[in-house]
Amino acid sequence: MARALEGIRVIDLTVWFQGPVAAQHLADFGAEVIKVERPKTGDQGRGVRSIKALPVGDWNQYFLVINRNKKSLALDLKKPEGREIMYRLVEESDVFLSNLGLPLLESWELGYEKLSEVNPRLVYATNTGYGRLGGVHKPSFDMTVQALTGLMARLGEPDQPPIYLGMGSGDAYGGMMSALGIMLALHHRRRTGKGQWVDASLYGAQLFLTAPSLQAYLATGSERYSKQQPREAAPNPLWNTYSCKDKWIFLCLTNEDKNWLQLCQGLDDPELAKEPRFDSAEKRRQNARALIERLDEKLKQRDAAEWMERWKPLGIIASPICNLADLGSDPQAWENDYFVEAYCEEVQRQVQVRGLPIGLSKTPGVVNTLGPELGQDTELILADTLGYSWDQIGEFKAHGAIP
Amino acid sequence: MSSALGELVVLDLTTAFWSSLGAALLGDFGARVIRVEKLPEARQQPGNGADEDPAVGWDYNAELAQRNKLSLALDLDEESGRAVLQDLIRKADVFITDWPFSKLENRGLDYASVSALKPDIIYAHGSGFGPKGPDRDLPALDELAAARTGMMPILPQPGQPPVYAGAGGMYTAVMLAFGVALALHHREETGEGQQVDASLFAGNIYGASLDVQAYLAMGGERFLRPVPRLDAGNPMSGVLYPSKDGPWVCLTMPDTDRWWPGLAQITGIDPDDTRFNSHEKRCEEHRLELIQVLEEAFRQRPASHWKAVLTERQLSADLIEEFDYPASDEQARCNGYILELDRPGVGRIKTLGFPISMSETPARLDRMAPCLGQHSAAILHEMLGYSEDRTAELVASGVIT
Repeated sequence: MARALEGIRVIDLTVWFQGPVAAQHLADFGAEVIKVERPKTGDQGRGVRSIKALPVGDWNQYFLVINRNKKSLALDLKKPEGREIMYRLVEESDVFLSNLGLPLLESWELGYEKLSEVNPRLVYATNTGYGRLGGVHKPSFDMTVQALTGLMARLGEPDQPPIYLGMGSGDAYGGMMSALGIMLALHHRRRTGKGQWVDASLYGAQLFLTAPSLQAYLATGSERYSKQQPREAAPNPLWNTYSCKDKWIFLCLTNEDKNWLQLCQGLDDPELAKEPRFDSAEKRRQNARALIERLDEKLKQRDAAEWMERWKPLGIIASPICNLADLGSDPQAWENDYFVEAYCEEVQRQVQVRGLPIGLSKTPGVVNTLGPELGQDTELILADTLGYSWDQIGEFKAHGAIP
Repeated sequence: MSSALGELVVLDLTTAFWSSLGAALLGDFGARVIRVEKLPEARQQPGNGADEDPAVGWDYNAELAQRNKLSLALDLDEESGRAVLQDLIRKADVFITDWPFSKLENRGLDYASVSALKPDIIYAHGSGFGPKGPDRDLPALDELAAARTGMMPILPQPGQPPVYAGAGGMYTAVMLAFGVALALHHREETGEGQQVDASLFAGNIYGASLDVQAYLAMGGERFLRPVPRLDAGNPMSGVLYPSKDGPWVCLTMPDTDRWWPGLAQITGIDPDDTRFNSHEKRCEEHRLELIQVLEEAFRQRPASHWKAVLTERQLSADLIEEFDYPASDEQARCNGYILELDRPGVGRIKTLGFPISMSETPARLDRMAPCLGQHSAAILHEMLGYSEDRTAELVASGVIT
């Protein structure tokens, strides 16, 4: 089957998560992605040993999944010969992507000005921490940047610690933004022949990640959007989380009389429908705390699945709140290829991996190989792609530019 | 300055904030996005924000999700209205919608019908749960998708209610735009259009990438229940510690060898303390002990102290801020992440800007969100070449507004 990005070559000089995952999206859709890593240790993501105090197990899923479908070129960019190879590669590539700090890239003479001189058609893409402009270059791991956006402070119950959206949640977003920016730049290049600098920063992405509440805050300045709000005081009790006998459920009904009557029916509670303090949208809003308390008592009486069964024919919109085990066996995720199986060389078996969140009917993404071994393609890339002779390759080795 | 998507015509038949935002991302980079608003329903829904505060005087959700768009209000229950839409489809490059599959099929707006009118069209669909599987027809609500993704129970501390973060739609918005851009690339190469699918479920799963992947690979109860703050896997990474006066300090130092000397110094711990002088000791043998020591240390000084020393030493840590921080942050302003501008009738406002920075073809705000049907007549005239009489007839019969 045809691949959307056939013929596009990407230099992927990235580490950890945001940069690698941006390039992963391009690789999934057929771009030739060459991951450039320092010899000996490579991307720090290769060194992840434990997650949540659990050993990562016999294969490093942190690294291998976001670096799937890529080649690996080991290159010492501190050496002039290493840079010579990089410039040659830049001449032969469409995209250069890096999430290293701008000062570091400059110090290796891999800044935008230099590389766009080497190849004016190059799309030069960076994932800075806090933006291309403004001069802030402090360290920018996912959670520290999420902390600055205000996103964490508003989640959870009052007086509870702020909430982090999950490992790499902001990196994942920045990665997708970066992939989009690269595609826009490639589109523009087709028309003009000109490359450009595209930056998707972790900070910019994470501000957008909280757009629904941040935009409301920017307009209103209201603490309703910036501070933790108690579940017991949700403005619409019909749109709230409730604890059933076994697990939680998310009830999603707009505050309309017809929904209210359906719910009372679904709860088998005709008395509730008659209570005057809840008999209009306005009263349900005004007496939200009392109603939530009443619904809490009621919902605790049965298991979530039992409620769902009763509610289904009534068209009451709700979902049990699942855990990751439920998700791992959710047929909806597997049927849509959000999860797929792939062969892992490291352990010589099929493993389950995060699949393809975007469907393209005629040029679908694929997972061919998991992440490469460090430097596995070095010699072939130098010989085939860059046209170096074996003598030259031997010299590069002698200088330590490649292993 | 030129724009990245200058010649692209996008028909936007979206109804939700997240999907409208997906189309807006294309408009921000120059595409001509025509918002086709379905009459008569659209008359009852000014903007599409869930709970705007009318007191502020502007529809801030629309001002983000519908910016840079044109508006055409059209009655699709009328044959003549459908004919207008079909004419538009013949001129369009991209068709983007979040309508349920059944509604699209009933109205002849599914991919098969739309591509019959315009074979190379890129047809992008945003759904709740994807185009296949038993739940493809569930409502496209981020809450339902988040509930299914498995993260809600483990985000808070033990014993606390599950947390809905409200971010799934934002992932999906970018996925829609990225899918369109990929398909566009393929079309430029081959002339072939196709269907693009993104769902809120996929967006939520993708947003939770590392947790989800770790569970798929490792399994284990530890992923199913919240991990207490004081039982963090790495005392120096992904942990929050309260300062003396309340605000939280957040540390992200996964590579503890690199950061330990600096952290030890500011917290008054001996860097050579034999309990903590290797990564294994810090993250395994003496993990819980180190958490207690850091917890104690951060409580000794106020937030302002920590902000100052963390900044001075460029450590990978920061304070948990609230929205007032980015709202007045120079870095957010100068990179265009938050814009400040004059809005007619309201005055000075702040609004979210552009998360992607392009040196040659930057995103720009050409126009504010349109009023319902603001460009109906102009689109019919300029794009479709309708005569004034024909347009007037459509207006008179209420088919367009």
